[in-house]
Amino acid sequence: MRWGMVIDLRKCVGCQTCTIACHEENALPPGIFWRHVVDVEVGDYPDVRRTFLPMGCQHCAEPPCVPVCPTGASQQRPDGIVFVQYDMCIGCSYCEMACPYRARHMIHDPGWYFGTPTPSEQAARDPDRHGVMSKCTFCKHRVDKAPAGATPGVDPEYTPVCVSSCIANAMHFGDLDDPGSNVSKLREEHRPGVLLEELNLKPSLFYITE
Amino acid sequence: MAATETRKVPTYCYQCVAGPDLLNVVVQDGVAVKVEPNFGVKEHPAGGRPCVRAYGLVQKLYNPNRVKSPMKRTNPRKGRDEDPGWVAISWDEALDLLAGKLRAIRDSGFVDDNGYPKLAVTFGAGGTAPAYLGGFPAFLSAWGGPLDQGIGSGQGMKCVHSEHLYGEFWHRAFTVAPDMPNTTYVLSFGNNGDVSGGVIGIWRHAEARGRGARWIQFEPHMSVTAATAARWVPIKPKTDAAVLYAILHGVLHEHEWQRVCDVDFLSRMTNAPYLVGPSGYYVRDAASRKPLVWDAKRGAAVAFDATDVEAYTLEGEFTVAGVEVGPDEQVIEHAAAVARPSFALLREHVRPYTPEWAAKVSDVPAETIREVTREYLEHARVGATMDVDGLTLPLRPVAIVLGKSVNNGWGGYECCWARTLLAALVGALEVPGGILGTTIRLNRPSSNRMESVRPGPDGFMSQPLNPTSKKDWQARPTSRSAHKTLVPLVSDGSWSGALSPAQLPWLFMGDPPPKWPEPTPPEVWIVGRSNPAISCWDTDLVISKLKRFPFVAAFAYTQDETNWFADVLLPDATDLEAYQLFRVGATKYIESYWDHQGVALRQPVTDSPFDTRDLTDVGTELSRRLGLLERYNEALNRGVALGVPLKTPQYDVSLEPSRAHTSAEIWDRACRAATLALSKGSEERDLAWFSEHGVFLVPFSRVNWYLHPEMVKKGLRYELPYQERLKRIGEELRNRLHEQDIRWWDTQLEEYSALPPWKDFPEIWIDIARRNGKKPEDYPLWLLTSRSMQYSWGSQASLPIMADMARHVKGHFAVMLNAKMAALHGIADGDEIWVESPIGKQRGVAMLRAGVRPDVVVAIGQFAHWATPVASELEMPNLNALEPIDLSLIDATGSGSDLVRVKVYRARHGER
Repeated sequence: MRWGMVIDLRKCVGCQTCTIACHEENALPPGIFWRHVVDVEVGDYPDVRRTFLPMGCQHCAEPPCVPVCPTGASQQRPDGIVFVQYDMCIGCSYCEMACPYRARHMIHDPGWYFGTPTPSEQAARDPDRHGVMSKCTFCKHRVDKAPAGATPGVDPEYTPVCVSSCIANAMHFGDLDDPGSNVSKLREEHRPGVLLEELNLKPSLFYITE
Repeated sequence: MAATETRKVPTYCYQCVAGPDLLNVVVQDGVAVKVEPNFGVKEHPAGGRPCVRAYGLVQKLYNPNRVKSPMKRTNPRKGRDEDPGWVAISWDEALDLLAGKLRAIRDSGFVDDNGYPKLAVTFGAGGTAPAYLGGFPAFLSAWGGPLDQGIGSGQGMKCVHSEHLYGEFWHRAFTVAPDMPNTTYVLSFGNNGDVSGGVIGIWRHAEARGRGARWIQFEPHMSVTAATAARWVPIKPKTDAAVLYAILHGVLHEHEWQRVCDVDFLSRMTNAPYLVGPSGYYVRDAASRKPLVWDAKRGAAVAFDATDVEAYTLEGEFTVAGVEVGPDEQVIEHAAAVARPSFALLREHVRPYTPEWAAKVSDVPAETIREVTREYLEHARVGATMDVDGLTLPLRPVAIVLGKSVNNGWGGYECCWARTLLAALVGALEVPGGILGTTIRLNRPSSNRMESVRPGPDGFMSQPLNPTSKKDWQARPTSRSAHKTLVPLVSDGSWSGALSPAQLPWLFMGDPPPKWPEPTPPEVWIVGRSNPAISCWDTDLVISKLKRFPFVAAFAYTQDETNWFADVLLPDATDLEAYQLFRVGATKYIESYWDHQGVALRQPVTDSPFDTRDLTDVGTELSRRLGLLERYNEALNRGVALGVPLKTPQYDVSLEPSRAHTSAEIWDRACRAATLALSKGSEERDLAWFSEHGVFLVPFSRVNWYLHPEMVKKGLRYELPYQERLKRIGEELRNRLHEQDIRWWDTQLEEYSALPPWKDFPEIWIDIARRNGKKPEDYPLWLLTSRSMQYSWGSQASLPIMADMARHVKGHFAVMLNAKMAALHGIADGDEIWVESPIGKQRGVAMLRAGVRPDVVVAIGQFAHWATPVASELEMPNLNALEPIDLSLIDATGSGSDLVRVKVYRARHGER
């Protein structure tokens, strides 16, 4: 089993609903985004292309962020999810430097939107994450909760929140090793590409372009 | 510490009219912590998902900058530099204060010496207000006297106003949508639907792209929708009508129209065959006054509704006997007049508008216009049909959609006319794949487009027009926006005051035109979810007039630029704090059309953190204080504010009229009534049920998406292409105004044309410099706005989390300029710049882009706050501060377009 995503760039509208849903689901402080949609424009007037590119941890099969970690806090699960074991992290940021996708984010202090925490910020805060490296977890807390018979990527409650909140149906999550999964079928049909393929990190995020 | 109790509370977000969007709020140990989609509602066309704005609701609830209790002004002086000197008061004191002012009006008479209501109310934008006012409208109904809704907060400037009025007139389309599940080709003129289309629109657009549908975007800058489109065509601002006219020309002169058009639709479903006489009116049968058509088989003119016409004639010239009926019942008799079908006049009308002509006007190459014309006709599939719930309907998968600023102000009428006509030419009006109306606001019943289709004059639908006859015209304005006096199309319903020239009160207050009663400051103005000191044009002018308002009561979320001038702040329970049941599904606004219909509950998700009050309870308390409780309860029982009557012959859950009821009690009755009505008496659900389940739905046949079957059933035609009725109305209105020696509305009267010609619309804005004593050449650029999905309509300007999201959107907090043009002006990316119009200047940060026309500058949204917390720290210019409220920019419907000519130049560091 290897969890992965297929993202249809033809559909994404760059609305940042996934960005805020992730931010809220994971109770992130101001200015920290485990994922967001990059708004890219290329070309010269009037021959211009503007593309919306959802970016976050690529959950590489060969993650460069894992071996550089001096404490073993940066880890990869057998199902491909790359995560930080917070109580082992010393905040050295080696992993941040190693990641070519800029997917790791140091949380130096709690950070509140209004200086002091609102009741919701206070209730949702995660003190374990302060002073350590953080990153997208593929919402493993949701995925791992899936009971027998439920399928992450099919049942929205057990799917990463960026996927289940997308209002353009542009993102899909599932088991890349299962030929019958939604993501495998989309890969078969559309032959999506990966970012920075030349680095051979074998990312788990695939992008449909045309 | 793990939460000990976690609940998911279903509610809705209506921060834009494309909703209500359904969601759950996760509440842990009594604290709302996050928003989630409501996946349980499988019937939702976008999977029960709300957009980015809804996720700000938790922060909106706990925002420490909220007005936390009622406040009273202590500084009697009003001005931007005058601190209001707020002091906290109790709700009792606040309501007593407002009730006292209202009682004084009731005691002294509802109307002032100039004929204007002493009470005025302004609520919200974009039709969002009704979903948040709770039962308060029932208080306004119980008020018992006139009240003015014509003091504008941006309506007409910020909406698709021309579409609202003409769309509803032609096909019950207050808003127009493409039938996205079926269409394969969309021509969009500035419609930024991937920002403003709501979650259902965005979902359906994306699905359509996935299956290969083509969307062509004509727009001066590369908006989000232009980015997702198959093709972006940069068009010069305000020249959209020229391209649409050239497409009309192409269909009718460069293609074999008999082959590419839906001739049967034109003959039987429009006024194309109606004969028009030498005076420009239909030639009518002298006795019945029915318009005549030419039956080629008979070789004679017959009444349009003759059942045995075998060959309608759309071209040619015929000598007929009959009468024309002009303005004021003027009858022109013809023994033998030369008459032509309106379709023939249309072809002649559009003959000059060649693609080469339009290319010079719009910068859109002629070959592009010809290409999209050809593609439009190919995709139209004239003759195709599809089955919809057992009914065979025409399938015409082509749509033309219009955006804000294309669709309001001068040129809006022409764009709407051409767009709707292009649909009619291929039979793509109100059929699968074509363009659909999704809501109505001027006709009744507002909840059912089909029932609103009633026979009117000359084979068309009826429309509740404001009278223009000598006998019935309302010479003296009854509202400060003069809707009954100046705008026949806007009717006189509950929305009409706000849909009329709502800029006029700001313009004329203190400076009325000749022969016009000066719009007075209302004795009491109640304002809520609305900030005209930011959202109206000419914000300095608005502020200068606000200072004169003697008593302003504001339903207040935070301090803002309008309630800075208030006398009392009433902190209403906001999105997640109050009850309201609201219609969901069916066909409703923007692209919100479903296979189901029903109602959804908005409810308090937890205890309010501050001393706020549910607006239903505010309405009840004011009614009680003013001795209006019985009338208020009776209004609720009739369904005012609730959307459903509490008593019908089928059921009775009405409120006991003589006593005050809590908001929960009132909405409990609404829940019961709505479910009884929707289930035809078989199911009754109470507030407790809705609090748990959130929404009640029943099936809604797709046949109801399309007006076509209803029109056929009732034997009615669309009033296109020829606008005989509008021409007559315009002439009558001219007569009435001239009889009063009022001539300052003459330019607006020119809009009432049977076949509207192209006018040099851009020149109207260029001329603003001259009208302000400046040189047009000094203002060479067009400043435009573009919709912000993160902010628009949501009263979210004070939420820092929204700024955090919006920063990811290209140029959201910058002034976007064409990179090459900026280089010529010595402006680099990130430079601080001034944007200056003939009436003022605003500061911003430059972002250089390739996807902006060289003659265009774009600033997203509307900011430049100076009192609203958080927002006032955002360095963003506001187009509204730079655009004058000027009679020359107001069209016949009372709307204006959001664009203004400017120059840009670098600011010195720190310069203010």
